[in-house]
Amino acid sequence: MDLERIDNLPTETIQGFRVRPGKPLPFGVSSVPGGLNFSVYTSAGTSCTLVLYSRSEEKPLAEIKVPDYYRIGDVYSIVVYDLDYEDVEYGFRIDGPFDPEQGHRFNQDNILMDPYARCLSGRDVWGVEPDWSNPYQYRSRIAFDDFDWEGDSPLEINDADLVIYELHVRSFTKSETSDVKFKGTYAGITEKIPYLKSLGVNAVELMPIFEFDEFENSRIHPDTGERLYNYWGYSTVAFFAPKAGFAASGKFGMQVDEFKQLVKELHKAGIEVILDVVFNHTAEGNELGPSISFKGLDNKIYYMLTPEGYYFNFSGTGNTLNCNNPVVRNLVLDCLRYWSAEYHIDGFRFDLASILGRDPWGAPLSNPPLLESLAFDPILSSCKLIAEAWDAGGLYQVGTFPAFGRWSEWNGKYRDTLRRFLKGDEGQVGEMAQRVQGSPDLYQWNGRSPATSINFVTCHDGFTLADLVSYNEKHNEANGEYNRDGGDDNHSWNCGAEGWTEDEWIRSLRLKQSMNAIGILMTSRGTPMLLMGDEFGRSQHGNNNAYCIDSPISWVDWSLLDSNQALFAFTQKIIDFRHKHPCLRVNQFDHPGSKHLPSCSFHGTTPWQVNWSNDSRQLAWLMSCNMDDNQDQLDAVYVATNTAHYATWFDLPGLPEEYCWHLRFNTGDINNPAQNSPSEFQDSGILVGERSIVVFSASLRET
Amino acid sequence: MALSIDVVQGDVHVTLVLSGDVDTKTAPDLLSQLTALELHALEQLRLNLAEVEFVSSAGLRAIVFAKQKMPHSSRLFLVSASPQIVDTITKTGLAQAVVIVDSEDEI
Repeated sequence: MDLERIDNLPTETIQGFRVRPGKPLPFGVSSVPGGLNFSVYTSAGTSCTLVLYSRSEEKPLAEIKVPDYYRIGDVYSIVVYDLDYEDVEYGFRIDGPFDPEQGHRFNQDNILMDPYARCLSGRDVWGVEPDWSNPYQYRSRIAFDDFDWEGDSPLEINDADLVIYELHVRSFTKSETSDVKFKGTYAGITEKIPYLKSLGVNAVELMPIFEFDEFENSRIHPDTGERLYNYWGYSTVAFFAPKAGFAASGKFGMQVDEFKQLVKELHKAGIEVILDVVFNHTAEGNELGPSISFKGLDNKIYYMLTPEGYYFNFSGTGNTLNCNNPVVRNLVLDCLRYWSAEYHIDGFRFDLASILGRDPWGAPLSNPPLLESLAFDPILSSCKLIAEAWDAGGLYQVGTFPAFGRWSEWNGKYRDTLRRFLKGDEGQVGEMAQRVQGSPDLYQWNGRSPATSINFVTCHDGFTLADLVSYNEKHNEANGEYNRDGGDDNHSWNCGAEGWTEDEWIRSLRLKQSMNAIGILMTSRGTPMLLMGDEFGRSQHGNNNAYCIDSPISWVDWSLLDSNQALFAFTQKIIDFRHKHPCLRVNQFDHPGSKHLPSCSFHGTTPWQVNWSNDSRQLAWLMSCNMDDNQDQLDAVYVATNTAHYATWFDLPGLPEEYCWHLRFNTGDINNPAQNSPSEFQDSGILVGERSIVVFSASLRET
Repeated sequence: MALSIDVVQGDVHVTLVLSGDVDTKTAPDLLSQLTALELHALEQLRLNLAEVEFVSSAGLRAIVFAKQKMPHSSRLFLVSASPQIVDTITKTGLAQAVVIVDSEDEI
């Protein structure tokens, strides 16, 4: 019998729309039989009006004042029937006091975006300057759940087995050289999946894809006249909506599907998707910034305010989201659950995550409830949680970030140590030894594992790898701030000339230094992360802070893949080498090693003897475990590094009788760095060239 | 631009010949034509898009809706869709729900 439900009928008509009191949860908009349920929270607002539009129409279709008796607690909710799901766009007007000293900034004239909006229209195409007179820039829309996932689910690759590739959606394929059809978009990345697979990475970390405003703080370069943007997007407008301007289909409102398609296809290729998420602040800026959503909904709840009602600025960008307020905490949790469940996202990297551990007055908490909630959430239980464990307010928590056994960290100390070690600075051998074994000095004491450490030598923030070996100083003139922006502590070395040079010797040394960096990164314990294009020498021409540049300076130049084929091939082979050798991916500091060798041991020019002195520039490590598929078989990798400007002889450590060494990589032989020698290494040692590394693996002797 | 839809009943299939744009305003017409078919028992549906320049997200969702209502073993052909329409279908992941052909002769 086909019975019609009788509990979901309209109870009254307002302005010609059939309505009934809504359900307060879930927040945002949800479908109910015959209608849409709208729900919004405001603790200090005194009235709520639902503003409905037809798609792209300038004037509202209707403004429905939500009856006060539809409010439960601090939540207004209403079901409106007979709306065209595809066509309708909506926002809210909230009335209440305008009293900044008390923290309130209500203004009925503003139409506010739903903070739970899952899809936005109005700013659909990247870089099209908006009509600034339009009072409602970001219109909330309905997102649909009808995407065909074809049985997909998050991949749940072990943290220690990941090789992460950080990329910016637009930069990755915007260049003409990318040779894709949909340049600079989610669909463009989908087209590049075969490339990512051939490189061997198994996770991409996407720089912010939550809707942001590329025109926020946009300005014209005073000298060149070029427009500068909020290009990287570390300033969220909407936490639940993918950026429409990153979708080739954004102008059709299909960014949700296009992004899901990207995730599904990446998963099919065995590649996880990690999102770089920004919860520390929003695009609403300080008291001078726009009222997009939170400011007009409940300013005092969502932001950290001074006693005078001004915005605390721990993020360095105008405001600070009040993440440890229970309401905001739930918003963050709802957001991550949504991306995990609805988009099958595998992990999240939290920008300036230390802010998330501050109390509503800004003081660091020893037991931050938000970080704890995320760590123990049932829906996020398999998600990677990665912290950028510092903030712009001076809190630096690498090694002490409240981890609850779940959080891993961008290890800034790995980056800095590796950079100093590479260029031959004094006094680095001891710290480098800590870094290559997963930084036990930072993570072992509190029971964490090597994969807690996300190891990297470059990321979006700072020099690219090619620039790290080509510039001593930053060259940020293109940012229009007279080279004042960007960090000065780059630990970079130009190898003898600043910037581009024809000098073959310098070019060769730069190539070798790049291989050394990637080689050490891929033979360290912890989780390695590569920056897009570093595998073929992407340059930003010395710009170490290209946050505002939408030009070929930021875009990946794919022609370098041909001209720097040697670096690409080396990277590809050493990633493959990492995947094949479980001893490099051991995720226990107290791992017993193999029957014959300890898990991780350090060596110098003489086996088992390291020169730890200040002027030492030779360090070797031997990692070992049993093979995954054959517990009786030894897996061992020996890496010898010489950052001195002269070649140095290293005696090789001995192996059990039945094993022998094979030389796999030697960056000193720059024309043939990936040796992968099939025959047994005959000598008892090897001359490691100046500023070079060699990598051996153990194999059973052929009988 | 208005949308006209001709329904042609074949032996084992139904063909909808569309002419005009399938935009936000006209997509409901397509949806109601589709729901009027016995979708749950239809083994083959053909949408002839030769005379269609634009299909909005609402139109694409109507197509997905039809495929979801049809039996698992069924096939839904998009015939003579313009390159722009094929692009949108491909990049948004709807392509695996349908079979794209240049003409009905290929079926």
